[in-house]
Amino acid sequence: MRRSIPRTTEDHNEEPVTTFRTLLRGFLESAERFASRDALVVADKRLTYRELRDRSASIARTILDCEPESVPLAALLASRSETAYAGVLGILGAGKGYVPLNPKFPVDRTRRMLRRSHSQVLVVGREALGQLPRLLTGVDRALTVIFPDGDAPADLRAACPGHRFVGSTEMSEGRSCGFDCEPDPAAVAYLLFTSGSTGEPKGVPIRHSCVRSYVDYVCDRYEVNERDRFSQEFDLTFDLSVHDMFVCWERGACLFSVPEQSVMLPAKFIRDHELTMWFSVPSVVSLLSKTQLLRPDDFPSLRYSLFCGEPLSAVHAQRWQEAAPNSIVENLYGPTETTIAISHYRWDPTQSPGACVNGIVPIGWTFTGQHCRVVDHTRGEVADTGELYLAGSQVTDGYWYDPENTRHRFVRFPGTDGTLWYRTGDLVRRGEDGCLRYLGRIDQQVKIRGYRVELQEIELVLREASGAEQVAAVPWPVVDGTADGVVAFVSGVAGVDEPCILKRCRETVPDYMVPRKICLLPEIPLNANGKIDRRELVKMLDEGM
Amino acid sequence: MAMTEEQLAHLVINWVRSHLRSGHSRNGHGEVSADTDLIATGLVDSLGLIDLIAFIEEQSGRTIDLRDVDPSEFCVVKGLCRIATRNGQQ
Repeated sequence: MRRSIPRTTEDHNEEPVTTFRTLLRGFLESAERFASRDALVVADKRLTYRELRDRSASIARTILDCEPESVPLAALLASRSETAYAGVLGILGAGKGYVPLNPKFPVDRTRRMLRRSHSQVLVVGREALGQLPRLLTGVDRALTVIFPDGDAPADLRAACPGHRFVGSTEMSEGRSCGFDCEPDPAAVAYLLFTSGSTGEPKGVPIRHSCVRSYVDYVCDRYEVNERDRFSQEFDLTFDLSVHDMFVCWERGACLFSVPEQSVMLPAKFIRDHELTMWFSVPSVVSLLSKTQLLRPDDFPSLRYSLFCGEPLSAVHAQRWQEAAPNSIVENLYGPTETTIAISHYRWDPTQSPGACVNGIVPIGWTFTGQHCRVVDHTRGEVADTGELYLAGSQVTDGYWYDPENTRHRFVRFPGTDGTLWYRTGDLVRRGEDGCLRYLGRIDQQVKIRGYRVELQEIELVLREASGAEQVAAVPWPVVDGTADGVVAFVSGVAGVDEPCILKRCRETVPDYMVPRKICLLPEIPLNANGKIDRRELVKMLDEGM
Repeated sequence: MAMTEEQLAHLVINWVRSHLRSGHSRNGHGEVSADTDLIATGLVDSLGLIDLIAFIEEQSGRTIDLRDVDPSEFCVVKGLCRIATRNGQQ
């Protein structure tokens, strides 16, 4: 069935074909072939492919019974639990795209994402139950809330009479679910939100055709098979989690959900579960290294070690290579808009150190079939240094109900074949061999522990909370090219009520965007162009401010 | 004389509380005890964990070896202090 989704550009060139395999199809085929093998290990519990399929089928059938209308998306508020994974599969099984929401995010932010997704169904895990009363009382549209982990508490039902609750005993049986929605390559598989400079998170819809291209390419490249044991480090709100789940299940492998307590220091988890496939942000290497938990030959079981989300330093690549001597180490790169990752660079302990710029590992070459251009400010293609533009089957075609940002970031070059290109905002240098090296951003976007952060979004909250006209946020400290946090500066006010401002920040933005501290200055330093001199601010912090 | 686990825990709780004033608490309040899970509550992030370990090592005069420690132990104040004092006895 084709769904009424907002199309931001012309229709895809390719017509839907009946043989198209949706994101879910790979899991279902593995569930047929490897029914009794483990598909998932989460919170010390193992689920076979059959068990995970059955749990997902029950959620899918319940969604279809509750909401026969063709609403394209359904939301999921769960994390690192059976319901989190079965919820993803169940929503896809009902023929909808999933919208992951994060129980760790501020309720106000989650509510905005829920509203903007236009979802009418919300699947909730036990771990997020505490957030529901506040979340739901602020939602003016009637939702169907599915709670597979038990009965929805009576006080919750009473507090939110405008919403319908479906507890585990009221859910439909999965046996009647055939997962037989007609595949549509243009349907949205998932919708993620990234930081937006206007203060509103930007929705990035990724279509089945985009993620199918990624999964097929990556499964072949890394020779994924049913004996593999995948890490699952990323929160579901981080698109790299899509790789973990669907590359793993495509080939019948087992997914190991890293518990919250082990996410920062996963060394013991990797050893205990003899993982073969590792995927994380490079910050993890830094942390393991600092805590003496990254020693030579520590991870002999790993076949592949993939890093993505922020710059990977040569020192860390080499240190990981020594800890995982049997593994191939790769640096992946890709904005959410280009589906998980779109370029790769394979680390070679002998050759690669010489290929690094500023000690940072190159982002390499785009995947086969995907395209890149390096352009200057006039959008003319240049031979070496410029902004990176990306195109191909993995690149989505716009933001969710956001034509202005779509026009700004998704462009066509005059006089060409009409290909749609995504402007990454990343400054790169292309070598003679075509290898791309990341140099930085052309705007105020930064990465904090792999998360995209628009500094202006933090500054908006600071301005509102402090009443100050002049505010600035800078990434700090930055070690080996990666930022670990943000520090805020305020001027033009007599004093700052730091606890009050930080409380407001915590209510509005996720943890990783909350400033570590707020510094009051007589004046914010400006550069020769009259813009905030962020380098000077960082220098002040480096010097011990 | 070597510091006891309880004495160390008292210092650590004060350290965590002083860092809360800098605004890193997911639940938005400063309640912390020896049994608080610092990671699950969001009280301590990656940088905070490194600083915290350095603080405990400095206070106890002992190196914290996390290699074979279960994360459920090192995420809790009293667990971290137990590891530090245990390492010193080995």
